[in-house]
Amino acid sequence: MSDIIICRCEGVRLHEILASIEDGANSVQGIKKRCRVGMGYCQGRTCQPVIREVLINKLGSNPIDRTSKIQSPIRPVLLRDL
Amino acid sequence: MKQKVIVIGGGIIGTSIAYYLSKNEVDVTLFESKDIAAGSSGSCDRAIMIQSKKPGPTLDLALKSAEMYKTLELELEEDLEYRKGGGMILIENEFELEVIQEMVERQNQAGLDVSIISGEDAREKVPLLSKSIIASTWWSEDAEINPMGTAFAFARAAQKRNAKMELNYIVQGFLIENGRVVGVKANNENFYADGVVVCTGVWTKSLLQSINIDVPIVPRKGEILVTERLPKVIDCNILSGSYIASKLQKGNDNPYGIGLAIGQTKSGTLLIGGSREFVGFDSSTNSTVIREIAKRAVQAFPFLKNVNLIRTFSGLRPFTPDNLPILGEIPSVEGLFIAAGHEGDGIALAPITGKLMAEIICGQNTDFDMEPFSIQRFANMKI
Repeated sequence: MSDIIICRCEGVRLHEILASIEDGANSVQGIKKRCRVGMGYCQGRTCQPVIREVLINKLGSNPIDRTSKIQSPIRPVLLRDL
Repeated sequence: MKQKVIVIGGGIIGTSIAYYLSKNEVDVTLFESKDIAAGSSGSCDRAIMIQSKKPGPTLDLALKSAEMYKTLELELEEDLEYRKGGGMILIENEFELEVIQEMVERQNQAGLDVSIISGEDAREKVPLLSKSIIASTWWSEDAEINPMGTAFAFARAAQKRNAKMELNYIVQGFLIENGRVVGVKANNENFYADGVVVCTGVWTKSLLQSINIDVPIVPRKGEILVTERLPKVIDCNILSGSYIASKLQKGNDNPYGIGLAIGQTKSGTLLIGGSREFVGFDSSTNSTVIREIAKRAVQAFPFLKNVNLIRTFSGLRPFTPDNLPILGEIPSVEGLFIAAGHEGDGIALAPITGKLMAEIICGQNTDFDMEPFSIQRFANMKI
């Protein structure tokens, strides 16, 4: 189970996310910075809810609900089209 | 009994100091309001670019730091994505050539064997470079590193030596008795120590204001573009000549301080910067700035027009009026130290900052003249 892929874009597996939480990560951003989850092509659009669930599961009703910051572009765009 | 020191701030500077203190057998507790590398150290690029630094105290520090980086992976026993791939500053026209030639002469006098190579030679090193580039500088000693990875690695290495990392602890103030700092108040609790070191970058000013110490550190925003993953296309650090100009610029002809800085991460994404703006703590990204940076990038690398932008981000760099960091003891409060204000040099200077600060805090002699970095230099300044 710990080997299932959570973030396809960056090929990050569940055990890496658990290890990041073990290392002190307490937010989506914290996990992202430790193991690149959500840093890829889709920018966490698919995996962020899963990571949030793992966080709530591991850290309980933690008040820290910092999600990944929304930044432009909302979808990939060619540099020439900017 | 072991010396007890509290480090405030879990960026690359705070974690580096925590590591070198723990190496000196100090009992370290680091307080961080969010998480390791959650601020400026986690929103910057990866360059350890030395050739662009002005000769003087910062360059001297940077050279020592660059030496330390060469063996840091071995020392911390982690992959920091360190690579000494060299660096170039692109020259697009005769005017830039003149400015850069003068800069290179100064670097040569300072002992850096930076050279100017032809456009053809530059394209040999980076084949996808535009034909419009007429020349470039080259220095083989410029390197790169994963800045977040390095901060995490410093923190873990410090923890292995029994340093404590207290994340989600907001430092609310200092405990001061008879002109001496004896600890901090964090999350409504008092913590005691023999010394406290403030490594809170752009947030230093407000923290030290609580004890009437004025620190002229101002946030300067830098925006960065992230592309989709590509095969290895850029193997070194690249700046544009206009980046150098914008770094020193004070006038209004480049209001966003835009200059190209480009590098490729280990995963294959390109990080394309950058800008320099004084807009307080606003860390949003601005479409005008992003567009302008993209335009410069496509000019220098025409293939980029068919590459996808997947994200933009911005970081706040701790700017000081004389572009030097503030390092050392704060004379008005015994036992209180500061290491902040590195602006865009924080990653490059992290290892040497950690080592020197640990020596100063432990009362050892440093083999470096720290006078230029003293907070005292601002004593008579109107802030």
